[in-house]
Amino acid sequence: MTEYLYPASVDEALRCLEAYQGNARLIAGGTDLMPDLRKARISPRCLVDITRIPALDQIAVTQDFVEVGAAVTLATIRDSAFLNQHVPALVDAARSVGATAIQSVATWVGNIVQAMPAADGAIVALALNAEARIVDGHGERWRPVESLFVEPGVSAVDPCRQIVTRLRFPRPPSPSNGGPCLVVGTAWRRIGRRPSLVLPILACAVKMCLRRDGGRIERAAVALGPVAPVPYRARETEALLQGRPPTGEVFAQAGRVAQGECHPRSNVLRASREYRLAIIPALVSDALSTAAERALSLVQ
Amino acid sequence: MPQRHSISFVLNDQPVAIQADPGKSLLDLLRNELGLTGAKQGCDSEGECGACTVLLDGRPVRSCLTPVGKIAGRQVLTIEGLGAPDGLHPLQTAFIEAGAVQCGYCTPGMLLAAKALLDRQPEPSRGQIVEALEGNLCRCTGYSAIFDAVETAAARMRGEGRDQARAALPSPPASSATPVGGDALRRDSVEKVTGRAKYVEDMAVPGLLHARVLRSPHHHARLLSLDPGKAERLPGVVRVLTAADVPGANDLSDYSRNEPVLTPVGDTVKMKGAPVALVVAASPEQARAALEAVGVQYEPLPHTFDVADALREDAFPIYQGGNVLTSHRLAHGDLDAALAGSDVVVETGYQTTYLEHAALEREAVLGYVDQEGRLTIVGGTHEPHWQQAYIARLLALEPREVRVIMPPTGGSFGGRQDPSPLLATALAVHLLRRPVRLVYSRLESFTASPKRHPYRVGYRIGATQDGRLTGVRVRIAANTGGYDAHGQYLPDFAVVASGGAYRWQAVDAQAQSIYTNGPKGGQFRGFGTPQSNHALECTLDELAQQLGEDPLEFRLRNALEQADVSFLGYPIAESLGYGAVLKAIRPRYLESRRRVEAFNATADEAVRKGLGLAGMWYRFGKSGSLRVEAHAELARDGHIVVYCSAPDYGQGIATVMSQLAAEQLGLSRDLIELVNADTALTPDSGIQGASRATYWVGNAVCRAVHNLELAIRGTAAELLDCPPSDLELVDGRVVVQDHPDRSLSLESVAEAFDSLGKSRRVPGFFDLSSQFPEETRPKYTPHFVTGAQTAEVTVDLHTGQVKVDRVVAVHDVGRVINPLDARGQIEGAIMMGLGAALMEEHVPDHSTGFGSYYVPTAKSTPEIEVIPVEVPSYQGPLGAKGLGEAAILPSTPAIINAVSRAIGARMRQLPATPERVLGTIQGRPPEGSRS
Repeated sequence: MTEYLYPASVDEALRCLEAYQGNARLIAGGTDLMPDLRKARISPRCLVDITRIPALDQIAVTQDFVEVGAAVTLATIRDSAFLNQHVPALVDAARSVGATAIQSVATWVGNIVQAMPAADGAIVALALNAEARIVDGHGERWRPVESLFVEPGVSAVDPCRQIVTRLRFPRPPSPSNGGPCLVVGTAWRRIGRRPSLVLPILACAVKMCLRRDGGRIERAAVALGPVAPVPYRARETEALLQGRPPTGEVFAQAGRVAQGECHPRSNVLRASREYRLAIIPALVSDALSTAAERALSLVQ
Repeated sequence: MPQRHSISFVLNDQPVAIQADPGKSLLDLLRNELGLTGAKQGCDSEGECGACTVLLDGRPVRSCLTPVGKIAGRQVLTIEGLGAPDGLHPLQTAFIEAGAVQCGYCTPGMLLAAKALLDRQPEPSRGQIVEALEGNLCRCTGYSAIFDAVETAAARMRGEGRDQARAALPSPPASSATPVGGDALRRDSVEKVTGRAKYVEDMAVPGLLHARVLRSPHHHARLLSLDPGKAERLPGVVRVLTAADVPGANDLSDYSRNEPVLTPVGDTVKMKGAPVALVVAASPEQARAALEAVGVQYEPLPHTFDVADALREDAFPIYQGGNVLTSHRLAHGDLDAALAGSDVVVETGYQTTYLEHAALEREAVLGYVDQEGRLTIVGGTHEPHWQQAYIARLLALEPREVRVIMPPTGGSFGGRQDPSPLLATALAVHLLRRPVRLVYSRLESFTASPKRHPYRVGYRIGATQDGRLTGVRVRIAANTGGYDAHGQYLPDFAVVASGGAYRWQAVDAQAQSIYTNGPKGGQFRGFGTPQSNHALECTLDELAQQLGEDPLEFRLRNALEQADVSFLGYPIAESLGYGAVLKAIRPRYLESRRRVEAFNATADEAVRKGLGLAGMWYRFGKSGSLRVEAHAELARDGHIVVYCSAPDYGQGIATVMSQLAAEQLGLSRDLIELVNADTALTPDSGIQGASRATYWVGNAVCRAVHNLELAIRGTAAELLDCPPSDLELVDGRVVVQDHPDRSLSLESVAEAFDSLGKSRRVPGFFDLSSQFPEETRPKYTPHFVTGAQTAEVTVDLHTGQVKVDRVVAVHDVGRVINPLDARGQIEGAIMMGLGAALMEEHVPDHSTGFGSYYVPTAKSTPEIEVIPVEVPSYQGPLGAKGLGEAAILPSTPAIINAVSRAIGARMRQLPATPERVLGTIQGRPPEGSRS
């Protein structure tokens, strides 16, 4: 019989974990955890449910950051008016995870801590330059989400000892906020064997910061998966884009660079390595175009 | 203080306090401990199917993925709390009325997902409905009727306001309504929308034991030894049964001539998942644990999944005598001359793949010894009487010592013709004399259940410059997998479907059923015919294109007419509507063509639309005896009881039988009771396959009812002192024509039967044996239905992704008995055909469940228009023909032809995944292709 605890605070949650010395495990939505429990791939003596800790279920927009608590569900992200307006890539990525009944309870943090190379939430987190607030017996710190992926299914976060309390990413500059000369657009593209309820053949998230005059790309973040053992940030592609004008030609070139730097694998069910490579240019240039259009639409 | 073990929550508006393991799933709690079986388990609790959806604080969740700990202090709504039969929720009413309920297994989850949507969004767009239902798989309806139902319910709820949200039960058709052709609601829908229908897994039985089958992990191996000792010593394990325990013949009889119920030691297993031992324990978990404890040794043998490998001279024989199971050839006319006289000859090679039925209910069978000491087996099947005989043979019993009952069943599509789960259950119950339930896991179902046979089809086909077909040569290699499983009959079906309803000068068609070590093939919606028809209709499209002909006019010019010599070499024996079908689809086809051409004229380079057309002919009612029996009885209280075997696994045939009986008697359906598919109560009406039930069983029902009416008139005539011909049945009374004052209630007629010693139950037979004298009788009756479909698709040329935008389906089904169900069958078939065209592919070793086998979801649903063409049959009941399977035949090739035309290259391998489409666009041959 498993214990099931609802700590009232992050501190209490940490104490619960400590008390079980590695035999307790955090649970948020539980949609990935339950099959593991059923198949006894994990057998914690205690589940520590953090979804009733006050404030963890909030999306907070501060001067500089958007902060998303560990108990915020993908449905909350999907339905957030602010995110729909300012960070559509995150909304679309949230909508890509399973289906409504999964999104009702599954969390963005949970999706990231699962550390799968094709995790929609992880891919979009990379493009947003997200950081995770990690709390454990040694204190609290922000770490880049990108640094949390060790290998497929293995996260640097130990759910038996550590808690990711929230994620944050830089608030997109808006006319009223910080970015007098920049506009930001995000985009999400995903291809699967069917429209949804399926792991992606390939997913791509893009965040682009453009000069307000539309003249050139200040910087762009491009993330893809599954093209490597962990969610992948296409830095060569990003380097190419920096300072270039946001034209179809540049985006096509960026797509080819992305194709060159990605190393997808073949999967019997989903797609071969060759196919994945073949569609990277279309996927990346398409996402870049959309992100640029969205950014420039803010100027009008 | 944090909570444990004792959990309080609100369940369907009632506070509940329970003691439970908080790490277990809410689904198990609801079903196993609280007795609420409305939430279904369709997958292996991986959250892949949606059948277990419930609402948690108003939000839809997968109860299989929800730990019980999560519900503490919260509100849970299950289907049992949505609305009872006397107070249905508007969604439940709308589902029934729209025909959104077929097998009913996805229905509770669908309804709750829809309720969560409407509670948040009272005026949802179609897109919001699709998104809300996206996670709930349905294999029967094709989703469209479900979307319609949600829209209707939403509109009513807005119009009526929250206080009146609970609408009354939709009234059954009034007694004056026509039972046939009207909007006849299903007999069992209320049970299904309220979660009350008891499927096998839902039946509570005291002292129930649980069985699991130990299966071969090897594709081909010799079974060297079996040691059940350690497993039998595990807690809760009652017995481990092996082949040595089988009292009678250890086989599947004529269903599958070389397939054991349990593989004997020393024999070889021919496929992964072949049954080796049967473990029976007190709980499913104990049975599962015991599987791993059975000691088994195998000697692995060479294996192949490929028919070309299996046919090689030096191929390892899977059976003594070679790897060809059966072959069949049909040839007439001078093919060489016909092809020589052709202006264009095309050669093609098409490949299809293994497909999974993926019915939402897994294989589940319950067995027990009844009070009379009779072995009783309750499980989904197409032919309870055949199962009765198989079981008797297995156990060395007389058939009368065995009873087989058809329960509510969550879909079949042919999959439930496999007797294996029923036989295994019967063996355990017979030997242990205790109730036993066997439920396959979804993984087990994917591994061990029969699949659609993969085909390789090669055509050489000619036509003259003026667009007339000349000759056809076709060679078909069908992969029957490791066991016969009816593959012996396959070549005939493959050949017949390979010629279509067209006029040919010469024909040479041959098919072989070939053993490999792949999963066993079996019956699957259209048994052996969709694959051939796919290759034919794609090849005809290629030919039309080469001729520069319009594909519709080309087919119309060559369409078989009633008196013509058919592909078979002789005329067919039922009415033929193919020409009428093609003419009926023409306006829609031309509309689609204009739309597609207009789009492509201005589309950017990355996207193209395509229009595809395909036709079909389908031989329905092929199997079994030419003499089919049903009974009708005048019950003591004056209502009519119909007895037949027309198993209803969701397609609605039971309702059709009631409608036919009511129409025949001119009575309301309220007065008709149906006793169906129970070997202890009903006559053997033959196997239900090849869409034969409406035509064959329906005819027998009509005749039984007619005979009963004659008997009623005869008896009433004596009492009323008038000739029987002066009597008529009006509103449940027997009335003398023109003398409404002289009448008798049916109840008093029943009383008179008893006092006269006359049987109130009479048989009826539909018998075509004299029409097909034995000397010249074809193996299968040449009765065909025809149809045609168009598909409009959009292809992303850069990624190969295909979206089907619109399908129009025109089918000649004869007289439509139940319009709602006819539409439902066709829409469901289209979605299944769409899956086969674009996404479904069972890959041995890799396809393990709904997460790795891609059936279409709500988002894949195109706009569908169904247009029936009612060319009355010569001999069907009220002019009806068969339908259920036929509608899938044109769906796949219409979609593939549309894709091929959109990309300007031919897709010859199924399914047309994004990868294969892009490969074809870029001129890469599909992997593994050979002709």
